[in-house]
Formats: sequence, structure tokens, C-alpha cells
Amino acid sequence: MKAYRILAVTERVLRQIWHDRRVLVFMLLLPAIAMLLFGYSFSGDITDIRVAFVDEDRTDLTESILESLQEDDAFKVTVLERVDDPERLLLDEGYQAVIRIPDKFTSLYYAHFAMGVATSAQGTIDLTLDESDPQIATTIQMGLADAAMDLGEGGPVEIDARELYGVEVRFIDAFAPAIMGLVVALISTVLTLLSIVREKVDGTFSRVWVSPARRAEFILGYVVAFGLIAFIQSLVVLAVGIGVFDIVINGSIVWAFVCVILFAVGSVGLGTLLSALAQTESQAIVFFPLVILPSVLLSGMMWPIQAIPSLLRPLSYLVPLTYSNRLLRAVMVKGLAPWEEPVGFAGVLVFVVLTILLASVVLRQSAGERE
Amino acid sequence: MSDRVPAFAAESLTKRFGELRAVDDLSLTIEPSEIYGLVGPSGAGKTTLIRMLCGLTVPTDGTAYLLGAPMPGGRRAVEHRFGYMPQERAVYRDLTVAENLLFFGRIYGMSRARISERTHELLELMRLDGHARQRADRLSGGEKQRLSLACALLHQPDALLLDEPTIGLDPALRREFWDHFHELNGRGRTILLSTHYLHEAEWCGRVGLIQRGRLIADGTPDALQREAAEHSGRVGPGQAPDMEEVFLILTGSGVPGAGGAS
Repeated sequence: MKAYRILAVTERVLRQIWHDRRVLVFMLLLPAIAMLLFGYSFSGDITDIRVAFVDEDRTDLTESILESLQEDDAFKVTVLERVDDPERLLLDEGYQAVIRIPDKFTSLYYAHFAMGVATSAQGTIDLTLDESDPQIATTIQMGLADAAMDLGEGGPVEIDARELYGVEVRFIDAFAPAIMGLVVALISTVLTLLSIVREKVDGTFSRVWVSPARRAEFILGYVVAFGLIAFIQSLVVLAVGIGVFDIVINGSIVWAFVCVILFAVGSVGLGTLLSALAQTESQAIVFFPLVILPSVLLSGMMWPIQAIPSLLRPLSYLVPLTYSNRLLRAVMVKGLAPWEEPVGFAGVLVFVVLTILLASVVLRQSAGERE
Repeated sequence: MSDRVPAFAAESLTKRFGELRAVDDLSLTIEPSEIYGLVGPSGAGKTTLIRMLCGLTVPTDGTAYLLGAPMPGGRRAVEHRFGYMPQERAVYRDLTVAENLLFFGRIYGMSRARISERTHELLELMRLDGHARQRADRLSGGEKQRLSLACALLHQPDALLLDEPTIGLDPALRREFWDHFHELNGRGRTILLSTHYLHEAEWCGRVGLIQRGRLIADGTPDALQREAAEHSGRVGPGQAPDMEEVFLILTGSGVPGAGGAS
């Protein structure tokens, strides 16, 4: 194996991208756009949920519940005098929840404390909820629970919250590592796939194959090129993440880059593997959704793997991005070293070794050469 | 290399694709410094034969030798010494002319300085000077073909395998290509090329007529013409059949349109 031949392939791949300005721009913009789009649409802040509030008790206590709800950006609270049929309000008026505090709520609430826990008498709030959007429903329930908890000392529940990993982790903080993995996987896989299929179509593949270049050198050439691109794309994701969303990175940025580049290597292998299944560029395009959809839906990027139905969950463990997400989150959010997240680390390593080995076999067959 | 070792050799070479016998029990020897033309219609098996000779296609039966090395197994020993021009023009369309040559030069282990020297020479030879910084996909068909030939010549190989190098070229350019071939041949390079333009056979040192994977006739153009003349009973001055007629007579099939497009 000769380094100059590996670098010759790397240089060629980079020059090809350099000449194709659209690809170049796309490659640099994609991480930024993905970060901005996902960042803004999933910033986790649901606002302006229409809530009707009916206070039949009218005490300082109930007033403070109303105030807490009004202070919460999630809700647009309309105070109603009375309500006969809460369901009608949901259906006809477009409210997403009706909160009714019944008469005597305050006295029952205090009675609860006076009599200790051995009583069923306690303040009850009636909540009529539109469950058609579970995320909104959950937000309302949580918001109301918060408001009830804000009643102050002596509230019925005391929550002892422990926040791990130093700062409060927002959705976007945990999202940046996933975006990095997704963008890098996408670009490396898709561009490698297209590039190799194009070599087959154009016949340059045959020309390389009769030359002294070895399969391993050919793959490594791609690996170095896309490793470099992965690094640049990660920089873009982090720049947008930090600049726009003020994301917090608790861990080592160096390890994060190492992990992302490692993941890019596996993605190049995957692209090479897929190239064996396509004879033309249009056939290759068929594979794009195959790479993108499972990565977005099953990798734990959008929602935790625990939220994926158990029937589909085994598939999650076949999606490379699942491991990259675990690994990068561990490194960037929790501040661990890669080996301290053994499942993610091992998953990514297996992905790299497996795809690169198989890619080598596949390339031999693509060249029609069996030694 | 001793002159005893043939530049290319095929021993009972056979390639089957399913039912199709693309190359059928074909034996052939091409000595160093020859310029040998594989002539036959499209689909005759010329490309498969050339691919087997340079180790890209594995024979079903028989053995192919390139510069004495059995292919594809022995390719490592000779890979620096032959150049291959595939039928597809096989250049990177999104690289410039110079970058194409740079890449192929690098994987052959040439220094950048040497590559730039050779690039200069070859672009002049191929009348591509002035196009060095042009992207390959902006070249005309003929220019692309000349670039493709330049890529095969770059590392100064002893033996050249050129698959339909003149296909689609206009007659003047085709003539020019042949001048290059003769010049290279004059400098001791062995050339094996395929063509379905039957009249090009006359410009080869030796010709193999190939049809349905079999070598039907093999000899100098003169010898083939004589053979065909005898075959058809046409003798005497001015009676020599041209290569098209030679092909039709020797294949005995009267295949029309043998010079048709692929």
C-alpha cells in the first residue's frame, strides 16, 4: 500500500467536488440548514396553546394558579366566568384544554394538610383535554402540574430534582450531535455511492483497476477525503449550534471530531457497499431514502428509542446513526470519553470495520475481477 | 523483457456469459512491436477479449497472457508496463484535462514534475494544448477521445490495449489517430486495438478477423487479401478485394453491414 496513491484518490475526489460548485455549496450549507431547521422547529418550546380557565373558587390560591399559567409562554389563557359543557368549548371554540377550579377547592386543599395524608379530601382541578395532539396534551398536563406545584411550600408534592451533567440539557443541545452524525452520514454515503457508480458508468473504474492502485488504496482515498469533509461539516454544525442556538458542549471537542470522522469512515464504506447494487446513477438515487429515512426515524434522533414501538425497535439497532447518536451525545453532552459509552463506541467501530471490509470485497466484484 | 515473450497471448481463451459465448476457444499471439488490429462487427467479442487480456474479465476457460504474465493473477508484475483505453471514454468528466492526467500519473507513481512534463508533451501531440484547464465534460467527443488516449499513454507503457480508439471520430481525426499509432509503434510500442471500421484493418501490421467470439482469419492485410482473392477466385491486378470484401469472403457469411455502428 502506498500513501501517494491513497492521496492521489483523495485529491481527485476533492478536486471533483471543488469543480462541482453546486455539490460544494450543498455540502457546506446542508449542515447549517439542517441545524437551523431542526433547531428552530424542535427547539422544544410549544407556545400559545389556547386554554380556557374557569375559576369557581376565586381565592388567592386559585389566583396564583392562574398567574402561573399566564406566565407560562406555552399557554394563551382565556378566563371564563363559568362553563357548562367543557367539551363544547373544545369542539366549538377551538380551546385545547379547559381548566376548571371547582368551588371549595381552596378549603379542601388546606383541609388535606390539616388532616394529614389519611384523607381523600383534597383539592381537585378539573381538566378537560384535547388529546388529539399528544405533545400538546402533555405540555398542558405538565404546565398545570407546574402551576399547582408553584403553590409554594406546603404543596402536596415536593420534587427533589437532580440535574446531572452540570447544566440543564435542552433538546437542542442533545440534537446537535445527532445533526452532526446525520449530515456526515448523508453526505459521505450518498457522494461515495454516486461517485463510484459514476466511475462504473464512465469506465474510469476499469482504468483505475488495471493501474497499480489497490482496492484498499482506492477506499482509503475516499475515506481520507470524506473524513476531511466530515470535519468541516462538523465545524459548520457546531458554529451554527453555538452561534445561533447557544448550545452547550460539556465534553471534549477533540473526541467529538474523532468520533464524527470515524462515523464518516463507516459511511464511506456503506456508500461503497451500496454502489455494488447500482449500475446507473438513477438506480443509485433509489438508495437515498433507504439511508435517510431509517436514520431520521429510528436512530433516537427525533425521539428516544424507548418511544419506538417494540416491534420496530430491533431495527433501530441496525441503524448506524443510533450508535453514532449515543456516542456523540455521550461525548458532547455528558462529557464522557468514547469508551465510557461502550455500546455507542463499539457500534460505530463495528460499523466501520464491517462496511470497509465488505466494501473491499464488493469493489473486487464490481471490477469483475476475482483473484 | 526478451523478445521471445509475446506481448499478448491467448490460449484457448473462452468467456461465456450464460448461454452466450462472447469469446470462444480463441488462440492468438502478438509479438512485441506489432500493431495488431482486432477487426469485426459490434458484439463479435473484441471488448471481452481485450478485457481478458488486461485482467478485467476472468476467462471461463483458457489463459490470457500480457507481457508474459498470466491474467488476471499475474497482473501485478506487468501493471506499470501496459496502457489501456476502454471503449467508454473513461475520463473524469468533472475534472479538467490536466487533472485527469495528474490523477492517472499519480496512481502510476509518477512525480508531479514528470506528469506536468508529459502532460505538456501529450497535449501537444493530441492537439489539446490550450485545453489543459478545461473540464473534460466541456470537450467535444473527439477531444475527449484524445484525452482518453493521452491517459493511456501517460506512463509510457510498452504495450497498449486500445478498445475501439477511433469509434465515432471523423475520417480526418481517425487518420490522425492512426498516425499516432504508427508513430508509437515506430518507437517500439506494441499496440493491440479493436475496430469495427473494416478499412482500418489495412493500416495494421497484422489483422485478426473476429466474428461470434472466434478468430476467423489472422495475418497481414496483404496475406488476408490474397487469401480472400483465392477464395473467391478473383486473381490478377486490380482485382484485390478491399478489407470489407475480405471480411465478407473469409467469414463466408456475406454479413452485411459489418461496418455498422455499435
